[in-house]
Amino acid sequence: MPNRDKARAKADVLQGTLDLMVLQTLAALGSQHGYAIAARLEQVSSGALRLNMGTLYPALMRLEQRGLIRGDWGVTDTSRKARFYAITAAGRRELRSEKAEWQRMTAIMQALLQDEA
Amino acid sequence: MIARLIAALREWTGRAAATAGRRRDDADLERELRAHLELAAEEAERRGQPPARALRTAALDAGGVAQAMEALRDQRGFPWVDDLARDLRYGCRMLARNPGFTAISVISLAIGIGANCAAFSFADTLLLRPLPVPRPSELLVAGQVNPFEDSLESSYRDYLDIRDRSRSFEALAAYTKSTAGFAASVDAPAKLTIGLLVTGNFFHAVGVQPQLGRDFRPDEDHVPGRDAVVILGHEFWTQQLGADPAILGRAIRLNGAAFTVVGVAPAGFTGVDQFTRFQFYAPLMMWPRFAPDAGTRLFEARDDRRLTITGRLAAAVTMAQAQSELTTIGADLERAHPETNRNGRLLVRTELQNRIAQAPPVATLVAMLAALALGVLFVACANVAGLIASRAPMRAREMAMRLAIGAGRGRLVRQLVTESLLVAMAGCALGLAVGAAAIALFSQIQIPVDLPITTVFALDRRALVFSIVVAIASAVLVGLAPAVRAARTDLTAAMKATDAAGHGGRRQWGRRVLVGGQVAVAVVLLVMATFVYRGFARELRSGPGFATDHLLMLSVAPKQLRYSEAQTQQFFERLAVSARQTPGIVSAALTRYMPMDGVPPSTAIVPEGFEFPPGQDSALHASSSVDEDYFATLGVPILQGRAFRAADAAAAPPVAIVNEALANRYWSGRTAVGQRFRIDGPRGPWVEIVGVARTTKYTFALENPKPFVYFPFRQRPADSMFLLARTSGDPASLAATCRELVRALDVNLPIANVRTMDELYRMRSVVVLDVITATIGSMGVMGLTLAIVGLYGLVAYAVSRRTKEIGIRLAIGAGRWRVLRMVLGQGLLMVAAGLAAGLLASLGVGPLLSSIFSSRMKGDARADASAFALVAAAVLAAAAIAAYIPARRAARVNPTEALRAE
Repeated sequence: MPNRDKARAKADVLQGTLDLMVLQTLAALGSQHGYAIAARLEQVSSGALRLNMGTLYPALMRLEQRGLIRGDWGVTDTSRKARFYAITAAGRRELRSEKAEWQRMTAIMQALLQDEA
Repeated sequence: MIARLIAALREWTGRAAATAGRRRDDADLERELRAHLELAAEEAERRGQPPARALRTAALDAGGVAQAMEALRDQRGFPWVDDLARDLRYGCRMLARNPGFTAISVISLAIGIGANCAAFSFADTLLLRPLPVPRPSELLVAGQVNPFEDSLESSYRDYLDIRDRSRSFEALAAYTKSTAGFAASVDAPAKLTIGLLVTGNFFHAVGVQPQLGRDFRPDEDHVPGRDAVVILGHEFWTQQLGADPAILGRAIRLNGAAFTVVGVAPAGFTGVDQFTRFQFYAPLMMWPRFAPDAGTRLFEARDDRRLTITGRLAAAVTMAQAQSELTTIGADLERAHPETNRNGRLLVRTELQNRIAQAPPVATLVAMLAALALGVLFVACANVAGLIASRAPMRAREMAMRLAIGAGRGRLVRQLVTESLLVAMAGCALGLAVGAAAIALFSQIQIPVDLPITTVFALDRRALVFSIVVAIASAVLVGLAPAVRAARTDLTAAMKATDAAGHGGRRQWGRRVLVGGQVAVAVVLLVMATFVYRGFARELRSGPGFATDHLLMLSVAPKQLRYSEAQTQQFFERLAVSARQTPGIVSAALTRYMPMDGVPPSTAIVPEGFEFPPGQDSALHASSSVDEDYFATLGVPILQGRAFRAADAAAAPPVAIVNEALANRYWSGRTAVGQRFRIDGPRGPWVEIVGVARTTKYTFALENPKPFVYFPFRQRPADSMFLLARTSGDPASLAATCRELVRALDVNLPIANVRTMDELYRMRSVVVLDVITATIGSMGVMGLTLAIVGLYGLVAYAVSRRTKEIGIRLAIGAGRWRVLRMVLGQGLLMVAAGLAAGLLASLGVGPLLSSIFSSRMKGDARADASAFALVAAAVLAAAAIAAYIPARRAARVNPTEALRAE
């Protein structure tokens, strides 16, 4: 089943970065529901990143289990019930260290790739 | 770093909490996903999509709710725990929905597992159970090989040389068994006990510390006869001395001498013998007190090899290194002491290897039972595998369905294996009941002795663990292959296929081979059972060669009360005389060895003019010292020459009586009476044969004819003798009278082995043979039953799948008789193939059994052929019935209905 495998591979690549993206989004925009997070990531990536529910919600659950975000049911502007996620203090600490790590890594990659070219 | 660790920990505790039940439930998760879709649809509508299409677009973009739910469930708890619970629930439902399948599978496996549990328990008790010491597998035995018993033994002098010269061992201790008359105080009557005489480092070497008091001190290991100290066995201390801790420092009496109790061995430690639970441990240096007349020869003579050496390897030394060191020491000893150590190879074995080497028939019997049990297990597993295979097409559609809605293949395999495990566990539980029944049967085998020598057959933790391992192994065996195959199902093909038109060609062949194999194994089991039953029955019918009725025995060893040699002889003479004068006793005799009571003593003899092979200068043969009334009392006829007479006394010319087997070995075709041989080696005294007695059974009902030599007890005295009395009435009723005879001579002397010959013979031979016959017989019957069930299942299944085809055949004019023959023929073809293979394999059964039991187990060719014919007929008859029932159903198929059903 090649399709499944590809989907799984994509999810694996995403997993490391997805956590960071979600935390950053929540830190920047405040409390958001799942759809808003997905929409925001799609918008920021100009449509390149279209998150499947099967990828997004397990990630949210994982972050919640690790105490980095907290989810609560609330009501949207259009009076729909949705589960809103907010970043916790632990989440902010994690975001800071992950962000620094990411920047360090990208800097290294950048230097390396430019060198190659 | 630490923050991440804490985060990971929190994730896992979150998961654990979710698994344990504190979780967002499925409905809550699904609400969130639906909200997502609605929000997405709302957005789409805002961008101008018609509401009806908006929701569908949203669902397409965001993926299905079902898949997301699956991923969420995986994230929520520990997926495998949830999966397992779900698999178990589902598996139970599947099994409950197919009660026929479940019942046959569970019962089949129960029989297979039960048979193995029983065989293991048998092997464990007789051979494998580790000694109650720390790290028992590391305990070693070393010594010189005794070529007759394949045991390892050593003299004290050799032991000292080995101990001092070797560097391969942590510690080397030596010990020997000894019986002793025990009394708590001077005036209490003595009781027979058994203990170990050990070197001072014994407890250290085996790795045990006394639970109470102290170990032997090094200085208690130096001077013969000086340090009368004793460490008591825990069980003995509890049972005989009321577990009194104040016993430390007090004296008990062993063989009439005072021994100070210095310690109590820990509970559970029963010594270094598989069967004997030793009651005391005394310094080897106290040997002279246990064998008063032997003096200190044990400590000086290199050919007095009665010690066993035991110990453990030093750190980082291998068995091979230890062995090569011992080989060197052995060669040096041989050079230094050629007269005693010639051909004296030194060997080291693990304690278990040593047991197996010493009891080859037991090891073979155990191996045979294990092979039979595995055969039964194979037949049982084949049944279950066959049943699973017959359900495969039906399951294939189910599996395809589950694959289609998104289940992973790994999950499907796990699901199917879980089902097999469920069946196996139920089978295991029931199998333990089968095992317990078999163990109850084995427990009838007991060694008839007064000493604490026991064979404990028990469904203990080892047997339990073994059974569970067997159950899991069989579950994987029968479950894994079909599971993998089912999970590899080609989706579309399986979905399209109907039940009846499965792709079964190859699979059917597999099942046929399985059923053929089952029949073959069952045939071998049955042939074996027939041979064993017939052979044992014949041996038991022909009897032991001596009378077993109206005989009562008891044994005494006056030296336990420190009688001198002369006093001992006098005691025996007076005992026999007083027995002969007792009303109710027809005749009475004395003998050193009672047939069927353990291992007879042996004597090295050198027949005059006989050429031994190089390297051998004498032959060791079983022997006994008896009085003049022995042969008449036991009912053993003297075939040539004469029986002993009272005149064959110490001063008279030395004489002996040999049995026919011994006469035939050395004087075949000549008269043995009048021939001479030396005893105790090539320089021993000459003895003349005055009679030839009939060969009887000596140790077991199934033994091969065993050469045996009798000496007059006045010429070859013994420390311990049996009194054997022939009674006019019930021998058991004279037991008290006979005890009184001994008490009248010495009230303190321990009396042992009071029993009738009937009882001894029954315990030593009849019961053992009955148990073995019952075990092998029931394995044969189980094997056949299981194979027949398998055959029935296969034929019935084939018929059910071919109903339509049979309908067509009938519709186009095939007679019902023809259909019957077709179905029956296919079933019986496999049976015939299995039968032929089984009979071929059975040709090895006769030789195998005669190597285990007795050369007389092998019947003549005509008897063998009749056994084969009997088994073949039984198997064919059973198979015919099993195949006929579904075949008749096939012949009764109503063509119109068969064709309409689809």
